[in-house]
Amino acid sequence: MKTWSSSRWKRPAAGTLVASMLTLGGCVTVPLANDARDVHTTLGARWMPGGPVVGLTSEALRGEDADAAVRALLAQPLTADTAVRIALLNNRDLRAAMHELGVATGNLVQMSLPPNPEVELEMRKPTRGGQPLQGDIGLEYDLSELILLPQRRGVAQAERTAARALTAGEVLHLAYRTRLGFYEVQARHQQLELRNRALQVAQAGYGTAVELEKAGNVRALEVATERSAVESARLAVAEAENALLDSREALNVLLGLFGPRTQWTVDSPLADPVNDLDSGEGLEARAIEASLDLAELRGRMEAADRRHGLARTEGFLPHLSGGFHGEKDEDRWEMGAHLTVGLPLFDRKQGVRMAALSSRESLKARYEATATAIRASLRQARGRVESTGRRARHVRDVLLPARRQVLDETVLQYNAMQVGVFEVLRAQAAVTDAASTYVETLLDHHRARSALEQLLAGRHQGLELGSIRVSSMSASSGAAAAADAH
Amino acid sequence: MDRRQFIQLGALAGGTLVASHALAQGQSHAVPSAPVSARARTPSIVAPGGQVAVTTPNGSTLPWRKVGGVKVGHLVAMPVKHTFAPGLEVEAWGYNGSTPGPTIEAVEGDRLRIYVTNRLPEPTTVHWHGLIIPNGMDGVSGLNQRPIAPGETFAYEFTLNQPGTYMYHPHYDEMTQMALGMMGMFIVHPKRPRGPRVVRDFALMTHEWKVLPGMRRPDPNAMSDFNVLTFNSKAFPATEPLVIGRGERVRIRLGNLSAMDHHPIHLHGLSFEMTGTDGGFVPESARYPETSILVPVGSTRVIEFVADEPGDWAMHCHMTHHVMNQMGHAAPVTLGADARAIDRRVQALVPGYMTMGQDGMGGMEEMGMPMPANSIPMKGGKGPFGPIDMGGMFTLLKVRENPDTEDGSGWYVHPKGTVADKADPVRMDADGINPDVRFG
Ligand SMILES: [Cu+2]
Repeated sequence: MKTWSSSRWKRPAAGTLVASMLTLGGCVTVPLANDARDVHTTLGARWMPGGPVVGLTSEALRGEDADAAVRALLAQPLTADTAVRIALLNNRDLRAAMHELGVATGNLVQMSLPPNPEVELEMRKPTRGGQPLQGDIGLEYDLSELILLPQRRGVAQAERTAARALTAGEVLHLAYRTRLGFYEVQARHQQLELRNRALQVAQAGYGTAVELEKAGNVRALEVATERSAVESARLAVAEAENALLDSREALNVLLGLFGPRTQWTVDSPLADPVNDLDSGEGLEARAIEASLDLAELRGRMEAADRRHGLARTEGFLPHLSGGFHGEKDEDRWEMGAHLTVGLPLFDRKQGVRMAALSSRESLKARYEATATAIRASLRQARGRVESTGRRARHVRDVLLPARRQVLDETVLQYNAMQVGVFEVLRAQAAVTDAASTYVETLLDHHRARSALEQLLAGRHQGLELGSIRVSSMSASSGAAAAADAH
Repeated sequence: MDRRQFIQLGALAGGTLVASHALAQGQSHAVPSAPVSARARTPSIVAPGGQVAVTTPNGSTLPWRKVGGVKVGHLVAMPVKHTFAPGLEVEAWGYNGSTPGPTIEAVEGDRLRIYVTNRLPEPTTVHWHGLIIPNGMDGVSGLNQRPIAPGETFAYEFTLNQPGTYMYHPHYDEMTQMALGMMGMFIVHPKRPRGPRVVRDFALMTHEWKVLPGMRRPDPNAMSDFNVLTFNSKAFPATEPLVIGRGERVRIRLGNLSAMDHHPIHLHGLSFEMTGTDGGFVPESARYPETSILVPVGSTRVIEFVADEPGDWAMHCHMTHHVMNQMGHAAPVTLGADARAIDRRVQALVPGYMTMGQDGMGGMEEMGMPMPANSIPMKGGKGPFGPIDMGGMFTLLKVRENPDTEDGSGWYVHPKGTVADKADPVRMDADGINPDVRFG
């Protein structure tokens, strides 16, 4: 895949952001390297354990060497971590987000620049008389703009801080969604295997019925019943195939893959539930502290504050501009200076101040609402992790062994000629069914776990903690228990 | 049999008879004074005219204590751990530690006082099935008496006025108490013997139970699908054989307290006549020869015969399902099916699965497949020529030249050339037998 003409873009020099822009003078480039490093630093402490931050380099983001790295990663069966790495290297939405941060950086650079002086040259030639050519030279400089420069830069700085938090959040969001997408693919793979097994069971029942019918031992009714079970099972396999395809395509979008590169494989099943859950002490505080959503709002609040301060200064500061003036009259120069003072009589930026204040108050309320939502989400995610973990372990350690025991006992009863082969197969189907419940519960567990990690890493937006459906699980089927939270 | 063997009237030696408990595991220590004898000793004389004591295979006889001219006995109704055959032990109910309870044996004219102690969790009574006694002694709860509450002891007292073969069983919650094994034989010898003297006199009580493989409690609610069929509550191969002497006159008293089934009991190697029912003696003019006798539910049948052919002869209920142990009847039949085609599919999903019965069900026990705990499906006995693939209501009549030296465990040794075997092709040819003959 060809990335967008990375060669056209010069590698940005190192150095502090604004300084480099100033130093380079007219040579303008996208601030990707610094932005990336900045986001990287922002994420640093928040990054989930084992997370591949290395994918977030300017080189990778610009596509240099990214192709080779992605190819190497795709050559192996994917894991959740390698999937995240590929997404960070290859996802174009992430690149878009990084460049959106560049917009804020550009604004900041722009706001850091002092106003340019204006030079006025004037030539005069009297129409009468022999007077020589007269020349005026004037230099005009907007003093109030210079005075306001630090404040304007402060606004842009705060806005960029907000933008940086937003971008860092989007990096987290991409990683989170990639993980979810990967777990989904794993689960759909396993479900397809299990549906295939269920089909095999149904086919064994049907094949047996056919053999028994040949010998005259069962009625057409039994054959038809077993056959209908096969056809239902076949449908379930087709559904599972479709679900797998959907989940792979959803992941392909996140990984930024198309064409032959979509042929990646996954060969591990969903990991068993994780036991080492934090005690829960101080988790809410940690999530609040880490929150990039709140950091963004803080940045925007500060920007509003600063906009308000700027407008106040602007409102009371008379418009000032000053200049030097030189006039060549005949053979001598007349030098002078002037100062222009605008009178802040009517426009004292009241409207701008009002807008800034309202914006700040609005953001403050939103900040509080977000903090409340984060705390609730954290408790919900934590509860979900525990509950799904317990349920998954229950299925694995209790329900599955119980169903296996039913199968074993059914085989014994079969050996004792108390039940027939169809009961044996039904008992086996119940085992497969329990395995199916395990996969769905486990998927829920990993989703919840990712949500919890996402919250602790600082991102609340776009969390996928859907509602849990309380299923009315029958004795033999329970696959529906967890096909919810999507 | 001579006079020396006569034991004084009224002092029946309860329990000194053939009562090999070798196979009767689970029969409790509570069986009152039952010395075990491995030998088919000639029964003692217990009634006038040389009438011999009744032998209850796998069982015992109720002992008497003579108190002031009254024979006093004691029946304790109680839960019993019972083994139908090795491998199948159940929580049953019975009397004096066993099911069936001890055989009550007395003589016409005896005055009996039988104490009944109830150690069951519910009330009970005892009905003396077939006996004509004062109405208040008939034992129908509510009708003739109040029920015997748990922990209570009642006394039944009556004089035996008619000889014959009877039974006893509860008449309170009959369905449960009989389904769990509460029953016994009640034999009254006549004061003066009727007909030719018999050398051996056996009592066999038929019964049916429902105990699914893996269960430990006979199901009292069963109305069909009884899967354990017994003689004296034992299923073959745990039924104790009846050892008799060639030429001896033998009496077998059959009683049936099954819930739902009559049993056509068939004897090999002889024919017999029915000489009595629980209604009395059959006049000689009404007797006819038989090899099977239907024993209806709630009836006794008495047969007598002389066996002239020595050997090990089968004696069994002729209902073919009644000579199976715990067979299920709900699974689809696999007879004639291509087992390999089925196995291939099922074994991939259920390792250890094996299609059975595609060639029929004989010899299935030999496959040695793992079975549910506490079950004896497909269990049969071992014979001198291989497995005997029967169970349930099946026992052996061992006709011997010297029965008193037998303990019943040995097999008949056939005179040379008297056992059916593979035919000699030369002989077949000479006899014009073509094994490849086609029909139709
Ligand atoms: Cu029968």
